[in-house]
Amino acid sequence: MPAWLSDNLITIVDGVAFGVLLFTIAVGLSLVFGIMDVLNLAHGALYLVGAYVAVRFARGGQAGIGAFLLAGLAAVAVGAAAGAGLAVLTRPLARRGHLDQALLTLGVALIIGDLLSARFGNDVQSVPPPAFLAGSVSLVGHDYPSYRLAVIIAGLALAVLVWLLVERSRAGALVRATVADAPMVRALGVDTGRLVVAVFAFGVVLACLGGVLGAPVLGAYPGLDERVLILGLVVVVLGGLGSVSGAFLGALVIGQVEVLGVSLLPQYASFLVFGTMAVVLLLRPTGMLGRAGKPG
Amino acid sequence: MRGLARRLTTIVAAGLTVALVAGCGSSLEEDQQGAADGPVKVGLLVPKSGVYAPLGRDMENGFRMYLEAKGGKLGGRTVEVVVADEGGGPDTGVPAAQKLLQQDKVTTLVGIVNSAVALGVRDQVTDSKVPLIIANAGANAITGEQRSDYVWRTSFANGEVAGALGGYVADQVKDGKVFLAAPDYAAGKEATAGFQEAFEAAGGQVAGTELTPFGTTTNFQPYLARIQRSGAEAVYCFYAGAEAVAFVKQYQQFGLADRIPLYCSGFVTEGGVLKAQGDAALGIKGSLHYSDQLDNPTNQKFVADYSARYGDTPTVYAVQAYDAAAVLDQALAKGATGDAIVEGLKGVGEVDSPRGPWRFTDGHGPDQVYYLRETEEQGGKIVNAIVRPLTGS
Repeated sequence: MPAWLSDNLITIVDGVAFGVLLFTIAVGLSLVFGIMDVLNLAHGALYLVGAYVAVRFARGGQAGIGAFLLAGLAAVAVGAAAGAGLAVLTRPLARRGHLDQALLTLGVALIIGDLLSARFGNDVQSVPPPAFLAGSVSLVGHDYPSYRLAVIIAGLALAVLVWLLVERSRAGALVRATVADAPMVRALGVDTGRLVVAVFAFGVVLACLGGVLGAPVLGAYPGLDERVLILGLVVVVLGGLGSVSGAFLGALVIGQVEVLGVSLLPQYASFLVFGTMAVVLLLRPTGMLGRAGKPG
Repeated sequence: MRGLARRLTTIVAAGLTVALVAGCGSSLEEDQQGAADGPVKVGLLVPKSGVYAPLGRDMENGFRMYLEAKGGKLGGRTVEVVVADEGGGPDTGVPAAQKLLQQDKVTTLVGIVNSAVALGVRDQVTDSKVPLIIANAGANAITGEQRSDYVWRTSFANGEVAGALGGYVADQVKDGKVFLAAPDYAAGKEATAGFQEAFEAAGGQVAGTELTPFGTTTNFQPYLARIQRSGAEAVYCFYAGAEAVAFVKQYQQFGLADRIPLYCSGFVTEGGVLKAQGDAALGIKGSLHYSDQLDNPTNQKFVADYSARYGDTPTVYAVQAYDAAAVLDQALAKGATGDAIVEGLKGVGEVDSPRGPWRFTDGHGPDQVYYLRETEEQGGKIVNAIVRPLTGS
């Protein structure tokens, strides 16, 4: 195999790892925005909360898988509570449009960012991967970190799980029905208010879990929240609002753009992601898998 | 459809709003006192938010420690410190400097991490005749031929730090080639250029240079693959903050650390980033003008005092600001107007610094020794051990 090809093959694998990680971040944003119609700009900050949860649990060098599972559980608990809280906060603004929601959640994001920086400091924190994933494996003639392969597997599993839950389960059907015709669902005896809180909590739990999963790759530091949020927004726009498979496709594309694209065209690095988004929007204004007929 | 289009516009606009608001975030410490006589006002311009906040904290610690040791007086005059937040770059740093100069009417300005801020402030302080003592920003153009009478520097120039290492690496790799990697902005370019010049002068050959996108990626996998393919015998790099952590960790994760020695400008393994890099940093060699491991009495006392006061070991950033206070101490003895301080700075003799004695060059920068450092484990802690001096003073 020519060296050029094997170099880029490994870069493509790395792009998949990054894309899958992006998916865990973006899918929550997409669900909350597409299904509940709430623009949650605190999503990046909540990712960072998850990353700091991992920092907290993996403190003291090499952590076992147990510490990571504990961090995951803690992230689920924190995320569920934060999501429910945000759902309650944004509910009075439901009729006032996206700008008010954006301002409120942006305020929440800034507060969370400052609290994290007060609690954990401004230094870059890194999280070692679980001990048994700390090494590298040989892949097309290169050493590749095992943890990144594990991220791909975990992320794919999560994607399937979320897709089944939203598109194939009874709960998912109820949520979609609520979006289509809330009064009818209420008439059937379902508490749609509780459903809203549940979806919001679920979306934020995904952000926090993404933080734990991503911590050994991206670390945790002030400013990471904005980077993650902007990439998440781009993925959501690219894939189509509220679509799980759209978020997945969008995340994989942006993953390749961020990794392979930046390595092939470094001089356009800061432009590539937004350029891709602009091109997709020109060709398909509703995103790659957006539902064109959906009432907006 | 129209509603959807509007929604898309909204979220993109909102996303940009986030970026803008976050970029402007600053926490200026208001401290209004317009007394004509009385204490000398010193403006301390350091980042208290943004990516350089840890450096700003160390610098403020270093400056305040010197001041406290002198009972709050420099040159026999009571000093009032006014702190302003430099933030992450010139968009916040230059207005903060303007505020210190115009609103607080400081007598002298100390600090500045970011070179773009330093270059943005240079003409302003020269016009308003307020001396500026830079305690970090390393742009080559700040000192030397393009110096201003009012701008002095107690830290380093990017090219000097990197250049100090060039001859040593050329000796180590003999006929082998070296690959250079740095972020694609002024400091990264100055560092690689400084290294390359000294390295090639000593007979070294460069295998390739990779200027990686600055601030937009912390994924170095593609560049690491290219380094491997280049057949380089060694790598020289310059990174800071999150990029330094990511580069060093990935250098190990992608299997380069065992095969290709890594050399760097010492900032790559200095302070908080070294803790985050952990074991991945072991064995990296770099050049810098300080390490808390330096074996001289001034440093031993400094490290002990600093650790007792702040519960952490000092960094090069703390020393640079500590020394800025020390030269100001000498300069203020001559007078407390802008021109008197500049005359005082011209007359500053040898500074007894934790980094070892140094004095100002004619170009207003420090004439100092650069040391070869190697990261190693000592008593369960990773430190930058001093191997030997790289340059004579």
